[in-house]
Amino acid sequence: MTERPVDVEPGGQNVAGETPVEEPEAVTDDTTVHDDDVELERTIGLVGGLAIGIGTMIGAGIFVFPGLAADNAGLAATLSFAIGGLIALLVALPTSELATAMPRSGGGYYFISRGMGTAYGAIVGLGLWLGLMFASAFYLVGLGHYASAVFAELGVALPFSPVIGIGLLFGAALTALSIGGTENTAKIQNVVVGVLLVVLTGFLSYGVLDAVGVFGGGSVPEQFFSRGYFPVLTTAALVFTSYLGFAQVATVAGEIKQPGRNLPLAMVGSVLIVTVFYVVTIFVATSAFGADRLGQFGETAMVEVARDFLGLPGAVAILGAGLLATFSSANASILSASRAVYALSRDALLPRKASEVNLRYGTPHVALLAAGGPILVLVATGQVELLAEVASFLHLIMYGLMCVALIVLRRRNPEWYSPSYRVPGYPVVPAVGALASFGLIAFMQPASIGIGILVMLVSYLWYRYYAGDVTLKGDI
Amino acid sequence: MTDRPSILVPIRVLEGESVPEGVPELLAHAHVVLLGYHVIPEQTAPGQAQMQFEDRAGERLDEYETIFEAAGATVERRLVFTHDGQKTIDRMTTEHDCRAVLVPNATGPVEDVLVAVRGAVGVDRLARVVAGLFGETDASVTLYHVAGPDETDEDVGTLLEGMVNRLEEQGIDASRIETRIDRDQEALDAIIETADTFDTVVMGETDPSLSTFVFGMPADQVADRFLGPVFVVQRESTLNEEEG
Repeated sequence: MTERPVDVEPGGQNVAGETPVEEPEAVTDDTTVHDDDVELERTIGLVGGLAIGIGTMIGAGIFVFPGLAADNAGLAATLSFAIGGLIALLVALPTSELATAMPRSGGGYYFISRGMGTAYGAIVGLGLWLGLMFASAFYLVGLGHYASAVFAELGVALPFSPVIGIGLLFGAALTALSIGGTENTAKIQNVVVGVLLVVLTGFLSYGVLDAVGVFGGGSVPEQFFSRGYFPVLTTAALVFTSYLGFAQVATVAGEIKQPGRNLPLAMVGSVLIVTVFYVVTIFVATSAFGADRLGQFGETAMVEVARDFLGLPGAVAILGAGLLATFSSANASILSASRAVYALSRDALLPRKASEVNLRYGTPHVALLAAGGPILVLVATGQVELLAEVASFLHLIMYGLMCVALIVLRRRNPEWYSPSYRVPGYPVVPAVGALASFGLIAFMQPASIGIGILVMLVSYLWYRYYAGDVTLKGDI
Repeated sequence: MTDRPSILVPIRVLEGESVPEGVPELLAHAHVVLLGYHVIPEQTAPGQAQMQFEDRAGERLDEYETIFEAAGATVERRLVFTHDGQKTIDRMTTEHDCRAVLVPNATGPVEDVLVAVRGAVGVDRLARVVAGLFGETDASVTLYHVAGPDETDEDVGTLLEGMVNRLEEQGIDASRIETRIDRDQEALDAIIETADTFDTVVMGETDPSLSTFVFGMPADQVADRFLGPVFVVQRESTLNEEEG
């Protein structure tokens, strides 16, 4: 068993007079050890970690974006997803190193607050919390589209569009379930992800064979850059929401068994797996219909693709998978948001009350409500692309800063920083990762950038007002 | 002092579970590894529960520690916040090299102990636990075996004889030891039925199999139905087996 001491001492206090909780004494393969023989058990294995990463990501990229992306970039949307995947990988590698050095709850927020100080930490931490809410809302609107498509399939004509109503309903139900439910959600998540991967592999294999002409016909080769080059990048910025999940693995880093081995594998593995699925999905979808028609189908384009290949059973399978995937993504994001609130409250950047545990259910009801409530407001806007981009914006800021934090820590090389996994290609990989993360933001819509900057500004002001005296930076 | 066997005593410290009556006396001659644990739902980070409950749980463990020490045991303690109680118990057993895990149920003063002897494997550990815990008491020890259809009386006799010898070597007077054999019964039901007239049960751990997966570990079933304290003697860790 490897036992490493943790030697970061936070200090100061916030407006309410609360101080950051003391850091643990050591981190082992199975526990986080605090003084007085108090231990926190690590219970999530590699499969669980991969399920969190893949489960969070796969909902968006496959079931919501193909139509929108093809509409924006044509067949070159495949390239957009590949670019997104590459950037995610460039960030996932440095994140893995940081996570093995600091396998604690809070993920990116924790690394940045310890590596670069409280101000950056507060911006990222509050941004992560809000970013996850935007992401959740985005998944819930996607879920609403799929549920509406079910109604359409059943031939139920509704006098109004049920998308937002259903999104709100599921948002409220998810929050309530997370507060009151004690069933084994992680096991369910593992099964859901397994089922999704099987359904998708079957569907995509058929699609690829069809596209290359095995089943006769083949598809009309289309001009790759039918919309020009620039939309490839704006589309990459839009669909980057499909790659936010690997960082959620880091938010539960404190609960991962053998963190030195499982964290890098789960993060890098989940990015690689979803990238392959995304690229193949877009390839299959665009070759089935061509970008123009695909774009007209909007959020539930994949249902039409499946119908084209396999008739009604295909459409039903993809509808079901879409419901499952968007639901599991929304669920994972709400839980991660609540973990982010806990990490902030532990460090006195939010009131201690915010991470209070409910005595009846043992769940963090304040943190879950603090995530679930605003999500409903965001769902009500129904703006899929805006929600997705703001979520991506806030995450990209964190990703870029994580890469910077890694470079800072490596240069100063403090004694407590001893990652068991070291990023290959230092300093090029983290430097390119940081530049790519910040660079991608430039290709977003002005409205998304505006909202993102506003969130950062408010986060910073909150830190100055509430916790200006709190120091979290490790001794470097 | 003779070799005190390390006994893991897991207690769900925040769910109203406390040290049941009679258990401190039962463990007077043991080295108690007192595990206070709290199982939390997956929505909650273990650290979150720790932040809120550590003090309260700590106070209770202080109390229990005092009770065990007053009864004569040596005590080592741990407080663990976990999503998976069984993983925590298994890990503690290994880390502290515990010879047995106690399923803590209430009991009166212990006058007779039922020791379920399953087979030749592990009798040494079984004997050490029994001798360590009850060697210096006046309790009578009954070695119990449920014979299978292809076991002769001779086989069973040799098995229990060997166990009696081991106990004698470790200082238990033969007059305190009885043996009892049953046949043509399902082992688990027989143990539970027989246990009824005893104060406590010591039995071995079973290898996990499909039926233990479906019905739960036999030791847990015994504990559930017997309602008294059950010592589950742990298998030798693989490490030791390799050495042996």
